[in-house]
This record gives sequence, structure tokens and C-alpha cells, in this order.
Amino acid sequence: MLGVSVVVSLVLFALWLFTFRRREQPQRTPREEQRIMLRWVLGGGIALPVVSIVALLLLGAPTGRSMIPLPLPEGEAELIEVAGHQWWWEIRYPGDNGEPDVVTANRLVMPAGEPVDFRITSADVIHAFWIPRLGGKRDMVPGRHTVIRLQADSPGVFGAQCAEFCGAQHTAMLLHVEALERDDYDAWLAERRAPPEHNDEFSEAREAFGEHCAACHTVEGFPEALIDDDVAHDIVGPDLTDIGSRPTLGAGILPMEEGAIAYWLMHHQTLKPGNRMPPHNHIDAETLQDIGDWLETMEP
Amino acid sequence: MSDTKDATLTPEVRQLHKGLDEVWGNPKGLRALTVVNHTTIGLRFMVTGAIFFLIGGLLAMLIRTQLAFPDNDFMSPEIYNQVFTMHGTVMMFLFAIPILEGLAIYMIPKMIGARDLVCPRLTAFGYFCYLFGGIILASSMILEIAPASGWFMYTPLSSGEYSPGPGSDFWLLGITFVEISALSAGVELVVSILRTRTQGMALHKMPLFAWYILAMALMIVVGFPPLILGSILLELERAAGMPFFEVAGGGDPVLWAHLFWLFGHPEVYIIFLPGAGIVSTLIPVFAGRPIVGYGWVVAAIIIMGFVSFGLWVHHMFTLGIPQLALAFFSAASMLVAIPTAIQIFVWLSTLWLGRPRMSLPMLWIIGFLVIFVLGGLTGVMLALVPFNWQVHDTHFVVAHMHYVLVGGMLFPLMAGLYYWLPQVSGRMPSERLGKWSFWLIFLGFNVTFLVMHWTGLLGMRRRVFTYDTAMGWDIYNLISSVGGFMMSAGVALLILDIALHFRFGRKAPQNPWGADTLEWAMPKPPTAYNFVSLPKVETRHPLWEQPELSRTIYEGRHGLNTIHHGRRETWGSDALTGKLRETIHLPTNSWWPLFASLALAVVCISLLVRVYWLAAVVALVAVVLLLRWSWENGVHPNVDPEASREPSDPPLHYHTMNGPGVWCMSVSHLANGSLYLSLLFGWFYLWTVAPQWQMPETSPLSMPLLVGAGAALTLGTLLLRKLVNGLRRGEGAGLGLSMYGAGGLGTLQTLLIIAVMWLAELSPTENAHDATLFVALCYVLILSSLGAVLCILQGLRVGYGYVSVELPMEPVVVVRLWYYNLVVYWSLFVAIWVMPTLLGGGA
Amino acid sequence: MRQLLRLTHPIHLVGGLTIWGVWFVAIYAGLSIACSIAPPDPESDMFTGINLGVGLATLVFTALLLWLAWASVKAARKAEVRRDCYFAFISAGVYLFSAGGTLFVGYPVVVLPPCL
Repeated sequence: MLGVSVVVSLVLFALWLFTFRRREQPQRTPREEQRIMLRWVLGGGIALPVVSIVALLLLGAPTGRSMIPLPLPEGEAELIEVAGHQWWWEIRYPGDNGEPDVVTANRLVMPAGEPVDFRITSADVIHAFWIPRLGGKRDMVPGRHTVIRLQADSPGVFGAQCAEFCGAQHTAMLLHVEALERDDYDAWLAERRAPPEHNDEFSEAREAFGEHCAACHTVEGFPEALIDDDVAHDIVGPDLTDIGSRPTLGAGILPMEEGAIAYWLMHHQTLKPGNRMPPHNHIDAETLQDIGDWLETMEP
Repeated sequence: MSDTKDATLTPEVRQLHKGLDEVWGNPKGLRALTVVNHTTIGLRFMVTGAIFFLIGGLLAMLIRTQLAFPDNDFMSPEIYNQVFTMHGTVMMFLFAIPILEGLAIYMIPKMIGARDLVCPRLTAFGYFCYLFGGIILASSMILEIAPASGWFMYTPLSSGEYSPGPGSDFWLLGITFVEISALSAGVELVVSILRTRTQGMALHKMPLFAWYILAMALMIVVGFPPLILGSILLELERAAGMPFFEVAGGGDPVLWAHLFWLFGHPEVYIIFLPGAGIVSTLIPVFAGRPIVGYGWVVAAIIIMGFVSFGLWVHHMFTLGIPQLALAFFSAASMLVAIPTAIQIFVWLSTLWLGRPRMSLPMLWIIGFLVIFVLGGLTGVMLALVPFNWQVHDTHFVVAHMHYVLVGGMLFPLMAGLYYWLPQVSGRMPSERLGKWSFWLIFLGFNVTFLVMHWTGLLGMRRRVFTYDTAMGWDIYNLISSVGGFMMSAGVALLILDIALHFRFGRKAPQNPWGADTLEWAMPKPPTAYNFVSLPKVETRHPLWEQPELSRTIYEGRHGLNTIHHGRRETWGSDALTGKLRETIHLPTNSWWPLFASLALAVVCISLLVRVYWLAAVVALVAVVLLLRWSWENGVHPNVDPEASREPSDPPLHYHTMNGPGVWCMSVSHLANGSLYLSLLFGWFYLWTVAPQWQMPETSPLSMPLLVGAGAALTLGTLLLRKLVNGLRRGEGAGLGLSMYGAGGLGTLQTLLIIAVMWLAELSPTENAHDATLFVALCYVLILSSLGAVLCILQGLRVGYGYVSVELPMEPVVVVRLWYYNLVVYWSLFVAIWVMPTLLGGGA
Repeated sequence: MRQLLRLTHPIHLVGGLTIWGVWFVAIYAGLSIACSIAPPDPESDMFTGINLGVGLATLVFTALLLWLAWASVKAARKAEVRRDCYFAFISAGVYLFSAGGTLFVGYPVVVLPPCL
């Protein structure tokens, strides 16, 4: 397609420029001129575009068709729900028969070698869900749920990003996508479904978390008694149940290394200015360090 | 070459020139603000547009500086978002459209052999609206509170919750203000082209440029109102909390996208058509022969104008609309390739059959061709949904749209600039500097944007303020930035060239390019009245077939060559045949346009600072000013001290019943109707699509009152119709009384609508259903009160003797408004009362 | 008013595309409303009443526009004034384009399901 376009344009430019080069012009009758004009206009102005667009349409319609989430011949495609937030991703694996959903953030694990239906929406403004290596993008619109079908042919890691301008930190809204073999995927999901263990080791950190963080951030199995309900919160932060297993922090801002969470908690407004988490100036560094240390252990 | 030299003129002709200068001349000093002449206003439009172009260009350079290196912290993300939003906004709304309007305002009367546009005061009003709107919008940048949601302002990002600052308000109010200007220019350009061509210039004999501008103006008239409505609704949401675009309140953010792109796609063609018009004007001149396939071009223009309205959804391919619907729009987008190709091959065959000469304007035309064709090809690729899904919102799209817009608009504009510069200044620009600036801009442009296609294919999203060096985009971005600065250097050189030419350019001959159209028959620099006398023209190429025209026009040997009556006059001719129908008496310089637009600017600012009572008061003042302005019309003594005329000339327009005012009213209905249809679209769209739409079981509106208001309207319309039919037969008995009667019925309708609103107890801040009803009722309320007020004023004017059997023009205009109101009111009644009642709520 | 109906009147320059526009709005609106009120079973793919309806509308409008194009050519042949002949021929071209455009834009109903 590109080749044809380039050739057509080059020929066109050459023809235009050629008209300036010709010196002698034969005397033509108006009838001859009319005929020459018609030849150009019917050939170039009508036939050329008509042929091109008919070819494009015939070619394009079936390709478009392959992207429609039609019912599969056998079974159902794996369904994963993705919601955009300013400026992070919420990933939800719906539980079967009344099981609770598995919720995570900024790291999308999907099965490879089979079609996956992503049911996408947004919690605030319009975002767009785009894994460039797997296919096209779709907007995530508040109040709507759209299904887009993608397939990773083999296991691997892909970058993904928000592709619709969504405010101050649109740039830093990245998603880490991992495609696993079906068995590995099932194992991962099963592991995530198992209730996390909560030991008493980080009791101070957990108390501080309950006081400062738990109003917005969920950690599965976190004792309700510790959550301070008085904290005003009109936004939702990422679920932190498995934060230790995520490759990055802040939707792609920092690599997850030892001490990264505490660093993030202290400097998140300089690392990602304008993000929705309030600054932690009122919390002393030691507490933040504690919380960070504890959260880093949170792996399924 | 001395066609317009004074030496050989007879004393009578000299007297005529002097008289014309007195009647048409521009005042100096402070009174220069009262000027309404199209030449002056057109130049003001273009100069202001050029200044905004420089501002927009500066913003572009800031963007390229920020993106030149990875992880650059030249700008913070907040500032970067403001900068790219304003770059798009300034370039589209404050540069591209106004400068093309300015060109059309300047050129159209000259090309069709008229002395001015048909509503000169409206021209001035439009300019001030543009100027004030532009200043308001630009001032937000200085205050660092510019809009930052992207130039298409998607909700909910631009709504109160996610953009609490005044940035979005600046955009919504400023742009609406600028759009008022575009609409007024659109209306009068349509009417001027159709009704003020010189004697004999039939529709199919007018210059192609006029066809292009006719299409552009009609597209403005139909295409801008959806965005005006969208802006009003969004501003109502932000200021008053009416949830039109908020899911929880029963609205839908996608409605904004629809309304925006209903305007936004035609906008691209509104910009492209005048550009193509310049190309179609210049190519025949430099090929030295008439354009071949005039009819083909006309057909292509019409097709483009229409089809461009069927494409809006193609900006929303990723919004989750069903594939089949996308396929319709995708196919429609591809259809545009046909009219585009027709034009390109008509131009090619004109060059082929002619003896083209290369010159500076032609160089720009070649540049246009190269860039525009490349942009068109990527456009066809983008029309393909799967490909679009891949590159949508990447730098590929950025590159594509700059190819189309810069290629389709800026390059032809520059060609036109160099072509018409001698007409404006009487001097020739420098070929050498001009060529340098062309090559710098052309190469700089391609360096910037050709590479950017690649950056986009590599996955770089648009509107990111920085990127990681690991992505491998560094070198391409750096190249793009270097290209951008090259282009700026070219623009600087171009400005230098133009500035120098005013001083050092050699004197231009009468018709330096050997052109065929009438603007080259004028003295240089142009006189305010364009032509000393208005010639009969029955060919498409007047100056080629009658080279003596510039001489004979100057010697006053054609029509309307008297001035002792002291009126500004031009001809009104039949839209189709160009036969003379009336002498149009044009209004003179006035303060009203400035005062009215100043009042509107104050309204705009008080809305910005959220002092709503002040806004309401000043809005009322603005209405009064506009009505006062309308009072000075027809045979009002300020306008027409002496209603005499030459016996041979056709009658003055206010003695006829189908004058330009009637046409202006009809074309305004197109704009108004487009606004109304957008509102209906919004109503049905929310009703069927909004996820949480709530509709009460029974309509909250009182049916008897609604029908009563409709009955009053219907009776009033019948009364006016009878009155106008009487005038047509020459019967004027009870004219004033009937007018007061209709005014009374209009008042009754207004009061009944107010009663409906009062009794309905709507809660427009709670849910979108009530909010939409509220806006719809406000709309008919405004229409009915306007109808009433105009009728009462007509009654007064009958008393003053400004309206009578001999002066029947104004009632004909007013009755058209009532017809419009009638259609709107009853159709709205069906939409908001009958259909919900029949289909039931909750649907 | 009568003369507006004659195919030699320049109003017909925009007639074809106006009809095209009406058709376009009708199928888009019809599709959207049908999909929101009674979405067909995804299993039935493109063999649904909606596709059938849109397809029929497309064919009817194409036929109408083709007929108008043909009638315009006839009117142009018969026209006595050169101007009339000129406008009728251009109108015929635009009618023909509109007919082609209708068919072209309507084509996807045979390959795509309506509401997915």
C-alpha cells in the first residue's frame, strides 16, 4: 500500500513539474483540449481514486471484522477487566461463581496463544488502552464498557500505555503487560486467589497503613479494625495486595527495587507531579520507611 | 500601464472620484474604529491572523524545544499541556479560519465587481468579536491559566471536576466569541456572492474562487453551530452544574466528542477549500489559459463540502462505536479522495494545456501540491479502521494533520500572499528573499514532519511531554526540532521580505501577472470603493477578454457612476442570471459594531470571573445596543438623508421585497437551524445512548400551556403572512396595528413559555433530562421574545415612516423569522412532549 | 418554487448530496437506535434484520439517485439555454457520485455484524 502510494505521488509530481519544462505547445482546437482534459480527469481524478478506495474498502472490511469480539467457535475468551484512572491502571480478573474478583494494578498478566477479551472502562476521564505490539487502541470512556479482543501469540513482556490525552500525567501512565503460557497463567491466578497471609511481623507499619493509607488503598485481608474511616477520600488508589510483585511503581515511574516504595512515598509528588496521592509531609520518614518495607513483602 | 492615472480624466470624472473618496473614505484617528469598509476590515483580519500565527508558531517552537531531547525538563507537564493546547487552538481558531475569512472579505467584492460586502457593519462587528475573543483567549497564556485539555477539549477532562481552574472557561467563551465572528462573516459572504455580483455575471460565470468561498462560507454557517452549542452546554455544566456530559447525572461525555467533531471535521475542509480556491485562481493565470473543467471543479467543491460533514466520527474510531457504524464513516472518508483527485487532475491538465511560467507564487503552489498529496495519501491510510487503531493518537497522526493543514492551507495562502501583495501595496516583493524563505519553510517543514511519521510508527504518542531515551526516539525528535527551527527561520525571512517590499519593492504594473479577474482592474493601492463604475461582465475572464476594462472603469464609463446622492451603493443582481435587480444602499461607518462587541466582551469577561449578575446585565445592554444598531436602517435619516436615485438605475433595495436582508435572514436560518438540530441531536442522543439517562414517567411540561404558546405563535405568523401578502399587492392598511398585534402574540407566547418553565419545576442541575429540557425551552424563549420585539419595533417604524407600502423590505425579513420559529416550536413540541409521552419515560 | 423542481435549476447541484446526507443520517441513527433498543444476538453475525434494513435502504436510495442522474442528463439534453444545460450536467455528475457513494458507504452491511 505504501509502495503504491509513493509511486503514485512521485509520478504525479513528475507530471506537474514536466509541464513547466515543455517549451513548444502544439495549437489545439477546443475539442482536442476537451478530450485531453477528460482523459486526465476521468483517468486520474475518477478512476485512480475509485480503484484505490474500492480496493482499500474490500481489503479493510475483513481486517476490521477480525477484530470484532464475535463468539468463539468453542468456549469463551478469557475476560479481563481494565479500568483507567488518573494516572494508573486497575486490572480485574472476575471471579467465577461468586468468588471475589482478583484485583491488581499497573501490571497486566494475560494468557498467551489465545484470544483475550478486555472489558475496558474508565473511572474518571477518557483514557485509551493500547498495547502496541498486540493491536489497536480503544478509548476507555467513563460509564461505558467496551470489549476489545487481543491475542499475544507467544509469551513475552509488552509495553502498554494510555493513548488518549488524560491530563497532567498522561505521559506517565504506563502499563506492564506479561503474557504467560496458559498453565503459568492459571497457576498465577490461583496463587493470587488464595487469601494472602498476614503475619504480625510489621505490626507498626500496618497500623500506620491503616491510619494513613487504607482509606484509598485496598490490601486484601487487611483487618478492618485497623482502617481509619475518618480520613476523607473521594478517590480510589491502586490495590496494593501484590505490590511487591510489580515491576514498577507509579505506573512506570520507578523500577521496583529494594527501598523503592519508601522512596516513592517520600518523593512521589516530585517524581510524578500532580498525581492524585496527597503529599506525605505530615508523616515522618521512619513510618514511611516501615510502610515501604512491609509493602515490599507483599507478593502472592 | 497607465490605466489608472489621472492625467487624462475629464473634470466631471475627477469630480466623481472626489465624491466617491468623500463618501467611501476611511476616517483617521479614533474614528478609524468606526470603519466598516471591507478592504480595511479584510486587512485587519489578515494582519491580526498573522500575529496569531506568530504566537502559535512560537508555541510550536516551545513544544519542539521540549521534545528535542529525552527527559527534558525545559517545561513542566502542566505548562507543556497548556502550550500544546494553545498551539492547536490558536492555529485553528485564531489563525487559519480568520485569516482566510479576511482574505475572502478583502477579495470577494473585488472579484465579483462589487463595492463592498452586503452588510459592512456586520463585517466590522465580526472583526471586533474576533479581536476581543482572541485577546481574551491569548491573555490566559500570560496568566499561566491557559486551557490544558487539548484543542478538542474532551469531557470530562475539561469539565469542572478535572479542570477546576478557569482554563476551560477561557477556551469555551473565547472560542464562542470568535465563532460569532466566523458566523457573521459566513452569512454575509454567502449573500454577497449570491446577490451582489456585478451586472451580467451569471452564477456559472463567476470566478472559481467565489465558488470556493461560497462553499466555505456555507460550511461555516452549518458547521460552527454544533460547537457553539457544545461550548454553551459545557459552560453551563461548568458554571451552573448542569450534567450534560456527566455519566452520573444522565449525561454522556461522548456527546461532546460528537458535537466537537461535527464541527471539527468540516473545519478541516473549511480551511482547505479557500486554499484550493487560491490554487484554482493562480494556476490558470500562470498557465496563461482558462482553467479546463470549470464544471468539474464546481462539482468537486460541492461534493467536498457535503461529504466532509459525513466524516466526523472518523476522529472517534477508538471511542468504542460499533464496527459497522465505523465502516460507514470509514467508507465516507475514503470518498473524499475523489473530489480531491478531480481537482488535482484539473489543475494538472490546465498546466498541461497551457504554457506555465515559474514564479514565486507558483513555487508555493508546487510546494502545496507535494505536501498536500503526501498528507492526502496518509489520510487515505488513516481512513482504514485497523490502521487507524494502530496509529491514532500517535505522532503519525500529528504528522498527517500537519501535512494536510500546512500543505492545504499555509502553502496556498503564501502563494496567494505573494500573488496579491502587489494588488494591496502596489509594489513587487523580492524574488530572491522570497525563494530563500520558500526553500527554508518547505525543507524545514518536511524535515520536521516527514520524520515524525516514523516517530509515530515507532509508537510515540502525541501529547507526551517527554520520553525515555530507551525508546530509541531521540534522534528522530532532534531532527524534527531542527526542522522546526529551520521553518521558523523561513518565516522570519518571509516577514522581512514583506516588510522590506513596502519600502523598496519596485512599482507594480497594473496587472503584473497578466491575471483575468476584476481585482486587477482597480487602482493600486486599492480605493475604498473598489470601482469608480461597475462594469457589465459576461465572461469568466473579464480582463483577458476586455483588457480595456481597468481604463473604462476608472473613467466612470459603467454603472452607478453618480455620487451626488451621497450614498454608498452597489448592485444587487439575480443570484442565478446576474441580471440587475436593485441598487443596494450600503450603510456607512458606525460606532455600533464596536459598542456591541465591547458589550459582548464584557459579558465574556464577567462570565470568566464568575460575576453572573454583571454578565446578565451587560448581556441585556448588548441586546439593546444591537437593536439600536438595527434601528438605523432603511430610510432612517442617519442612513439616507436623500432617498433619490438615478432614473435608469434599478430601485433601491428597501423598495423591493426580495432584497439582501431577506437572503441574510434565510442564510442565518441555516446557522440557527444547525444549532437547533444539534440540540435535537443532543436530546435524542442522550435519551437513547447515555448510560444513566433518567426520564420521568410523564412529561413535567404542561401540555395546555405548550399548545397555547404554539397557538399564539401560529396566529402571529398567519397575521404577519397576511400582512406581507397585502404589501405584495400594494395594500398597506393597518400595517402598524398588525405589527403590534403580532408583537402582542409573540409576547403572549413568551409569557406562556415562561409559565411552562415555571410550572415544570425542572431541576436542571440534578439530571441531564431536565437540563436539556431547560436549554431547549430557553432556546424557544429567546426566539419568541426576539420575534415579539422585532414586531413591536416594526410597529414603531411604521409610525416613523421607515416602513410602508413603498418601503416593504423589513416586514418580509421579520416574517421569515416567524416562519422559522413556527417550524422550530412545533417540531420541538413533538420531540420533547409528544414523543416522550407516546414512548413513555424510562426508555 | 415550481422552477426549483426542474432539474436544470442549480439547486440540484446540492440535491444529490442532500439525499445522500439524509440517507447517511438515517442509517447511522437507525443503526444506533436499533442497537440500543433491540441488539440482535451476536451469534447471528451479519445476518440480522438491521443489516437487511440498512441494505435495502441503501439499494432504494442508490436506485433513486441513479434515476435522478439519468433524468438530469435527459433534462440537460433538452435544455434550450446553455446555462440550464450546464447546470443539469453538473447535477447529473453529482447525482451519479451520490449514487456511487451510497452504494460504497452501504457496502459494509454485507460483511459486518451490526452492533459489535
